[in-house]
Amino acid sequence: MRSPAASASAHDPAASAPDAFEALATAQRLAKRGLRRLLCLQVARTALRLGFAATAAMAVGRLVMGEPVASWLVPVTMVFLLAACVAGFAADRAQAFAESTVSIALRRLAGKRLDEMPARRLQSLSVGSVILSMQRHPEAIAGLVVGHRAASAMMAAGPLLAAAALFLVSWQAALLVICLTPVMILFFALIGDAIRRRADAQERALGRLADQFADRIRTLPTILANHAASGEEAKLARRLEAYSDNTMGVLRIAFANAGIIDFFASLSIAILAVFLGLGHLKLAMIPGFSNLALWQSLFILMIAPEYFAPFRRFSEQYHAKAEGQAAAAALNRLMNAEPVKAKALPALDRLRLMLPAKGLVAIVGPSGSGKSTLLRRLAGLEPGVAPAPGTRSLVAEDIAWVSTDAYVPEGMLAEAISWNAGAVARNRLEDAAHAIGLLDDTLLPGGLDARLDQGGANLSGGQRLRVAVARAQLSGRTVLADEPTAKLDRETAEAVRSVLLEISRGRLVVVATHDRDLAAAAHLTVDLTDSDAVEVAA
Amino acid sequence: MSAAVQSSSRKSWRLATGFAFAALFCAILLGGVSAWLLGSVAIAGLSATAFTFNFHIAGALIRFFAVGRTAARYGERLAGHKAALADQVARRAELFAAMAAAPAVRQAGWQLGDDSRLADYLDDVEDLDFARLRAGLPALTLACGLAVLIAGSAVLAPLSLLPITFLLLAILFAGNRVARAGAMAWGEARSLRRGGASRLGAAMASGVPLKAEGAWNRECTEALAAFSRADGALLSLRRMQAMFDMIGAAFGPVAGVSVMAAVWHAGRQGTDLLAPMLLAFSWLALGEAMNGASRMLVAVLRRNAARAEIGQWTRAADRSEFAPDNIKPGLLRHGALQRRAPDGRSIGTPISLLLARGQPTVLVGASGSGKTSLLKQIAGWIGDDAFAAGDRILSAGERRALASLVLHDAVVLEDTVRANLFAGDVPDAALWRALEAAEMDGRIRDAGGLDSWVRQDRFSLGEAQRINLARAWLSSRPLVLLDEPTEHLDEAQGERILERLLARFSDRIVVVSTHHASLHGASAIELRP
Repeated sequence: MRSPAASASAHDPAASAPDAFEALATAQRLAKRGLRRLLCLQVARTALRLGFAATAAMAVGRLVMGEPVASWLVPVTMVFLLAACVAGFAADRAQAFAESTVSIALRRLAGKRLDEMPARRLQSLSVGSVILSMQRHPEAIAGLVVGHRAASAMMAAGPLLAAAALFLVSWQAALLVICLTPVMILFFALIGDAIRRRADAQERALGRLADQFADRIRTLPTILANHAASGEEAKLARRLEAYSDNTMGVLRIAFANAGIIDFFASLSIAILAVFLGLGHLKLAMIPGFSNLALWQSLFILMIAPEYFAPFRRFSEQYHAKAEGQAAAAALNRLMNAEPVKAKALPALDRLRLMLPAKGLVAIVGPSGSGKSTLLRRLAGLEPGVAPAPGTRSLVAEDIAWVSTDAYVPEGMLAEAISWNAGAVARNRLEDAAHAIGLLDDTLLPGGLDARLDQGGANLSGGQRLRVAVARAQLSGRTVLADEPTAKLDRETAEAVRSVLLEISRGRLVVVATHDRDLAAAAHLTVDLTDSDAVEVAA
Repeated sequence: MSAAVQSSSRKSWRLATGFAFAALFCAILLGGVSAWLLGSVAIAGLSATAFTFNFHIAGALIRFFAVGRTAARYGERLAGHKAALADQVARRAELFAAMAAAPAVRQAGWQLGDDSRLADYLDDVEDLDFARLRAGLPALTLACGLAVLIAGSAVLAPLSLLPITFLLLAILFAGNRVARAGAMAWGEARSLRRGGASRLGAAMASGVPLKAEGAWNRECTEALAAFSRADGALLSLRRMQAMFDMIGAAFGPVAGVSVMAAVWHAGRQGTDLLAPMLLAFSWLALGEAMNGASRMLVAVLRRNAARAEIGQWTRAADRSEFAPDNIKPGLLRHGALQRRAPDGRSIGTPISLLLARGQPTVLVGASGSGKTSLLKQIAGWIGDDAFAAGDRILSAGERRALASLVLHDAVVLEDTVRANLFAGDVPDAALWRALEAAEMDGRIRDAGGLDSWVRQDRFSLGEAQRINLARAWLSSRPLVLLDEPTEHLDEAQGERILERLLARFSDRIVVVSTHHASLHGASAIELRP
């Protein structure tokens, strides 16, 4: 028999430790190749832009000074410019491609993880957060490991390239911008600290109000049922206002971050322009800024902003970092959810039972005595000793599962009944649907062509159960039914009983049930009432 | 939007626009004037004019532009966010009111109660909130900057207009393409995501049957494939953006080079070249401001999609809830009520309904027999039926005001316990009595009392249900409709609480739906599909 718990993640490439899903580390590994390509392109783009600045400055400087301009200079300038644009284009595309590749691969690994998860653990996850995680989190993580990572690497490479270019013309100018950097970083650190403190203070004071709008939208029906809409509206407006006032307080400091980069970029231009101007006027002899040709000073002027641009791009990525880290944490939490402890059921472990190849077997007993667990063990969904028909244990392909949470695909009733049952002739579908009363259900007009929503959202539990019964009848498989008659009205319950009995003439049908009539019709009854002595009655 | 908020937001927008213009102006001139200065002094340095050159004014101007650019950018960011946040507050409050009036809220299964749908909805709201800041404001300043520099080029180097116009046309063409094809890609990504979400949701809800039949892997993989196809659609959008940004990045430098080439072609020399050089470097600076301009286009197309989506919710809104002047109907009657499902389909044959004060009515029936729908119909949440109450007729809107509908899927708000009880200015003692009646007093005392902050995930389903019953206890409406009040409670506790509630509501009209147990002294109506 399969034991999913034991095989879980045995061949999971995402995890080095057998049981932990590390979204961030996995994504980093997945991103490696794309990231290298992206960095190459970004470096190429920066280098080409520097080339453009050099040649353009040379052409303009010579032109203004009335010196001859070499005929090759202008086409080379244009080639540098266009090549820089194309490299930028390729870099943008490479980033988009790398991010979506990482996102898709990460999602596939997470899907595999879900597939290996035991049913009990899967059931304990909140449906909404699983959808949220699968839909959005891979994208956010990809943004962190590709875009943000590249921006932070460029923060080293970009200024280095720019400084090297400056160095070729005037090492003193290069030294000047390099000297400005630690000052800028010092400011960064100071302000970053202030932002953190301020944001923490706000979180303490107003963190509760952060999601008020979302919360009120989520709870709207409850608010309406309590006639509180207008009161909540006023309160919401007040709270939104208080929250936005405080948000402004944080932003005031947070924007100082970008302001510092702006300031140093502007300052460097201003200082350089003035120094270089004085040098040209020969009013002051500043080493490195005098005796330069005009093209050289124009070149320095054009390069200086390039030096600061990578810092700026990185500071714009602040959100990507926070979002990506939160997404990775959420995905890890979901994928590494603690297994739900199964209740100890010693009676089941002691159960020695040979199931017949056909006939109706009823598992009875009070709630919590392990009826459903036994059924799941039969299906191989939970580890543990399980009885089996004959010598061979059941595999998924032998099983038709009947319960009120049966899966219903989107489409017509006919498709829902024939789902997972292979090709079935129309008249057999009709017979099966008719036998279980699905065709004369006034709540399901249209017969076999009735339209069903995704997941059977427009069906009641009873209707879904009947779809599952019809499907089980057509499938030719062993039927495992969990409380097939609970919550049904009398006539429908009767119809379900008779169809299950009919199926049991040719196949094995195992039901976990509270229904006395159904249990009475069984050929074999397993009574779990007394946890010490399981009673098996033929 | 209140007048005060509106005027403050307008003021902030004006301020932000002013700062944005100032920032662009300073940035352009910082580049231009610096280059001009270097050119002038280099030429002046060749002769004796060097000693008469007024360097201080030029130097001061450059310093001014440098500081001005930094300050104006900071101001632009701050004022822009302030304006956007002010709009956000007003818009969200309005949106809440509009959503409260949306018919979908009162029908079956509140879709935005689901985390993933709610997250999509919030994204849309945010796209609306920030479209102006992300697209409107930068587009306006860029357009003005463009106009000024084009005018300058027309005067100083008319020939340069040829490549500039050509490139501008290319940008417009590419922009148009991104706007159209991008909107389609975005729409496709949205619908794929939604399809994948509903498919994954359906698979998750049927986890055990799917795993038992070995079909889980297939269903889950297909749902995830839809998400990944959505990623693919987004990738194609980003590729279009990259194309647009490439042309955008070329624009400033090409314009600058064109200006210089045009004046060179015209044969100008020496100091005649200084003004064109200022212009050329201004173009370079404007080019910097155009970096990533495709984000504006995306902000616009996302806003349009968001607006359409949110419009879907608030369409056909109906806010009517008139409280009839303090009446307490003793009898509520309908001779032949056609029961309706939330989507308007009729259920079964018409039934006759007679609800009397002091005589609770129990609705029994199997799951899917329409108990909740009938309660909502009585409460005026579904359908448009008129009920007779003595000598007058109560419309659906009037019943909505009179009824306390206790939903079986009611939730806990993220707020204080007091706010969660919706009782207004009732004294604490009464609130505690209500919590005692619902056997929640101990739990709330442990959580920190009436003013402690609570949220849904701190409570089990049974505890949330008991908070909901405490709300019912505090309600003073003459018509009380309890939907599965004992759901999620153990049998004995459920019976105890229900008994207390019914005793309290002895002078009101009470209807209880349940799928088991009957109440003594109550008349029962059995519902069949």
